[in-house]
Amino acid sequence: MILIIGGAYQGKKAYARDLFGGSFIDGAKCPLEELFSCRGIYYFHEYVKRWMESERTLEKGTELDEVLANQIIQQNPEVVIISNEIGCGIVPMDAGERRWRELVGRTMTHLAAFSGEVHRVVCGIGTVIKQKE
Amino acid sequence: MISLITGGSGSGKSAFAEKRILEYANEKRIYIATMHPYDAEAFAKVARHQRMRKKKGFETIECYTDLKNISLMRADDILLECLSNLTANELFEENGAKEKAAEQIMEGIRKLSYLSENLVIVSNEIFSDGIEYDRETEHYIEVLAQVNREVAALADEVIEVVYGIPVYHKRR
Repeated sequence: MILIIGGAYQGKKAYARDLFGGSFIDGAKCPLEELFSCRGIYYFHEYVKRWMESERTLEKGTELDEVLANQIIQQNPEVVIISNEIGCGIVPMDAGERRWRELVGRTMTHLAAFSGEVHRVVCGIGTVIKQKE
Repeated sequence: MISLITGGSGSGKSAFAEKRILEYANEKRIYIATMHPYDAEAFAKVARHQRMRKKKGFETIECYTDLKNISLMRADDILLECLSNLTANELFEENGAKEKAAEQIMEGIRKLSYLSENLVIVSNEIFSDGIEYDRETEHYIEVLAQVNREVAALADEVIEVVYGIPVYHKRR
């Protein structure tokens, strides 16, 4: 798995295209199940919001972030995920917005622990902040 | 050794800070909690952090304001979590330091650094959402940024945790 992260409009998609080619799916619009078979996804943070809002029953004692992260790791371990870092602002007043931010953060933290590479893009320039030997 | 650990919401900074302080493997380990719980969500958050610290041998001291007068004997390692709550408390709570918030927080942090061998301080990246807030909130952002800069100047290392990955901004 490879993660490409950074703030909004930093050139993450173009950076990913240069490194890994095209044909990624759009996390803001794609059918939710496509994540588990696609080669790559952009707007993953938007995907997380739609996933969070879709109806789901949870077993007691399980956390949403673990459920999502584990499903991706098990079903699509080679996927390239492009996501905005959305947790670096004032904590929102709205409870749903707060949940979303934390869910994106914790899910990405699980995925980053599993990933072979994590790239962080600032001003179009990527820095590899994690690389497995 | 003073470490400043910062990161966004859900970035894994708390877990990283705990790991950092456990690496020192000293005997007396103190956790200074600054979050003043006032609703169910805050209580749940405190409970979540307590679960994370369970069995890690921390003695917990709550300190919502007035860090410089905390009653504390010498300790090997101190984990202070976190500057964003402490700053909010000093600015907005009735008995807070108000306009002297930054100055008094720094005085408290210097005291903790004298009292400990290793001090790990957690802060929060709240500066990059591009939203302009009301004056009170903007002032809060500015004061926290000032505290972060001053602590960073004092610290031996400054680490931003990005989804659990440490990014070093300063290391000595």
